[in-house]
Amino acid sequence: MRHRLRLIGGVLVAVLGAMGLWEGYKAVGSPDGTKVFGVRVLPRADDLSMPPLLSILRRFAHPEVAGGNGRPVWRAIIDACLFTLGITAAGFVVGVVVGLLLAVVMQRFRVVERGLLPYVVLSQTVPLVALAPLIVGWGGVLWPSWMSVSLIAAYLAFFPVAVGMLRGLHSPSSIGEELMRSYAAGWWRTLVKLRFPAALPYLFPALRLAGAAAVVGAVVGEISSGTGGGIGRLVIAYSLEATSDPAKVYTAMIGAALLGLVVAAAISLLEVPLMRHRRRVLGATV
Amino acid sequence: MKWAKLILPPLIVGVGGILGWELLVKVGRIAPYVLPAPSAIWSELVEQRSNILDAALASGLNALVGLVAGAILGVLAAMLASRWSLLSEVSIPIAAVLNALPIIALAPILNNMFESTSSLPRRLVTAIIVFFPVFVNTLRGLREVNPTHRELMESYAASGWTFARLVRLPGALPFVFTGLRQASALAVIAAVVAEYFGGLQNGLGSRITQAASFTAYPRAWAFVVGACVLGLVFYLSTLLLERLATPWRTRT
Amino acid sequence: MTAVVLEQVSKVFNQGRADEVVALSDVDLTIQRGQFLSLIGPSGCGKSTLLRLIADLLAPSAGTVTVAGKPARKARLDQEYGIAFQQAGLFEWRTVRRNVELPLELRGTGRAERKARADEMLSLVGLLDFAGHYPAQLSGGMQQRVAIARALAVHPPLLLMDEPFGALDEMTRERLQVELLQICAKTGTSTVFVTHSIPEAVFLSDVVVVMSPRPGRITATIPVDLGERTDATRQSEKFFAAITEVRRALRGGSS
Repeated sequence: MRHRLRLIGGVLVAVLGAMGLWEGYKAVGSPDGTKVFGVRVLPRADDLSMPPLLSILRRFAHPEVAGGNGRPVWRAIIDACLFTLGITAAGFVVGVVVGLLLAVVMQRFRVVERGLLPYVVLSQTVPLVALAPLIVGWGGVLWPSWMSVSLIAAYLAFFPVAVGMLRGLHSPSSIGEELMRSYAAGWWRTLVKLRFPAALPYLFPALRLAGAAAVVGAVVGEISSGTGGGIGRLVIAYSLEATSDPAKVYTAMIGAALLGLVVAAAISLLEVPLMRHRRRVLGATV
Repeated sequence: MKWAKLILPPLIVGVGGILGWELLVKVGRIAPYVLPAPSAIWSELVEQRSNILDAALASGLNALVGLVAGAILGVLAAMLASRWSLLSEVSIPIAAVLNALPIIALAPILNNMFESTSSLPRRLVTAIIVFFPVFVNTLRGLREVNPTHRELMESYAASGWTFARLVRLPGALPFVFTGLRQASALAVIAAVVAEYFGGLQNGLGSRITQAASFTAYPRAWAFVVGACVLGLVFYLSTLLLERLATPWRTRT
Repeated sequence: MTAVVLEQVSKVFNQGRADEVVALSDVDLTIQRGQFLSLIGPSGCGKSTLLRLIADLLAPSAGTVTVAGKPARKARLDQEYGIAFQQAGLFEWRTVRRNVELPLELRGTGRAERKARADEMLSLVGLLDFAGHYPAQLSGGMQQRVAIARALAVHPPLLLMDEPFGALDEMTRERLQVELLQICAKTGTSTVFVTHSIPEAVFLSDVVVVMSPRPGRITATIPVDLGERTDATRQSEKFFAAITEVRRALRGGSS
């Protein structure tokens, strides 16, 4: 309990500190930014580039289109976030399923692992997500355009799941495997009773990574495709109006950040009933 | 003979994949905007190689600057956090939370803060993205100390700084490189993708969107291949650096 | 001349709490210069705690610990002993030679002298050929020998060892025991050796100190006079008699 209080306290201090840093810099920073050797290294501190925090908060309540009577900004952002959330969820589910299947197949057939794993690792080492603008072209013809965005989210999500799950499936000691063999348990039974439960502590950190990756994939996909309705589009659209309406783009940013948090929280919630008796494995936490 | 077992399966998958791809496109008469044929991509690669190189160098420089800056900050922050256990306990969950956010969405804001003709926003976004894996892994390495080493240095009546210098820092080095490996891949991805969000357009990302908008799809894919090669170069360089800096690591 | 003196030493962990443990209670022990003394007893008898009190890695709850005529803390700061643990604890990022040089480095010894000393100790344990290797390339027994070389590198008057051969197989143990005795004889160090193996304690020591748990205390001090220890000693009558004596003391002490 104390530990959790400390955590919450620490996060609060961090948030307050960040806010203090923002306003503090605005107070002391030069409105034109600081240039070193002609390159601006510190941002402009004027209200146009760095709106005061209060004005950002207030912007949420005001109508989206200035002067109009349209819906307020916060409604626009929530709608956009929900849209992207749906896309992210679809992509996440597909990515997780593919990742799990891949991990199981790679564990079963060593030769498949040797053949595919280098490419799996490669797929995330190289920026294949740069293909996003191209994959997006499939939309509108092969399937509705939002599905392309989900595909990109799925692509980014499958890797942590595949790798984490594979490690988890390999994790039981040889003693456990020998025990199952002495019970004449076949591969499937061993998978269900030994490997899968042993893999859970590895799976959940991987799921969290996959969730964050899916959000990034969805946002990048939306931007590359121009798919309207999502938070990614909103960030770009608002940023184009930044000179006339500086606070709006920050509201969109906060919306995107909240989306990421919601996804992470949702996945952590999933963990609660399943991980009650398990220890946490400090595998890759980032 | 042993390494043939290791090399052959992925090689077969790779060659088979490319051949299958070529066959699929030719036989299935698949339009280029869906999937260009490998042969078409190759010819564009050859034709555009100087453009690809220029764009790759620009993106590569952004990635490198971001990687170095983010890594240095990550290591320093980890060293700071490891001094006070309260700080390190709190910073790991904060880092996990911050990393769950789509950091790349910061790009447009940074473009506003700085001039849109500056390379700084892309490098900044890259640095932020790089910071997290390096920070978390380095912190873990600094905190995990073999208790026997600790007792040994106590028996030598070694000072805190000596202990840090001789035991914690060298012991943390493998962890730093684990973080660096992840970070190097992320750096290239960030540097390329950040361009999709506007700002200065002189790297691979902008070339890809440009080619796509001119419906020159094989060319766009060629630029993607260039980006992949760039990513590989970064990753392999990090591996090489790791080999040189930690010669005691056994090859597993 | 005494190397180590413990007077009325007690050690209590978690004093006053629910999980309070009396690890040692009223221990008196004297170790003479050049003596080889073993501490033996079942788990929880406090032998490792006793060793760490001598090393000033723990502070006593009561009583005094004197090493080389000084309080234990000063002895540690003056580096009057070398210590070897159950895990070799070598630094995986340093070569074997650099590992042995570690205590010399901390004393500010010059580079040339460090290397000479390290090579001297490595040839003493028979590992000079591996001086440029990394610990990961060495077997467990070899790593432990390097750890012993490191402990002796500063030519300390006192050697403290906490079950250093515990993780090794029987054949390697017996060989290292003979080597250790040869080294100690050559360098004239006093040694405190913690073990839970009766044959090992008897083979190595001039004195075997038997301890018992709950609370940790010394139940018997058995002098062992076997003359020069060779492989033949392990088959001698006197050897078996001493083992029987120690075993009896162990049985008698535990409740």
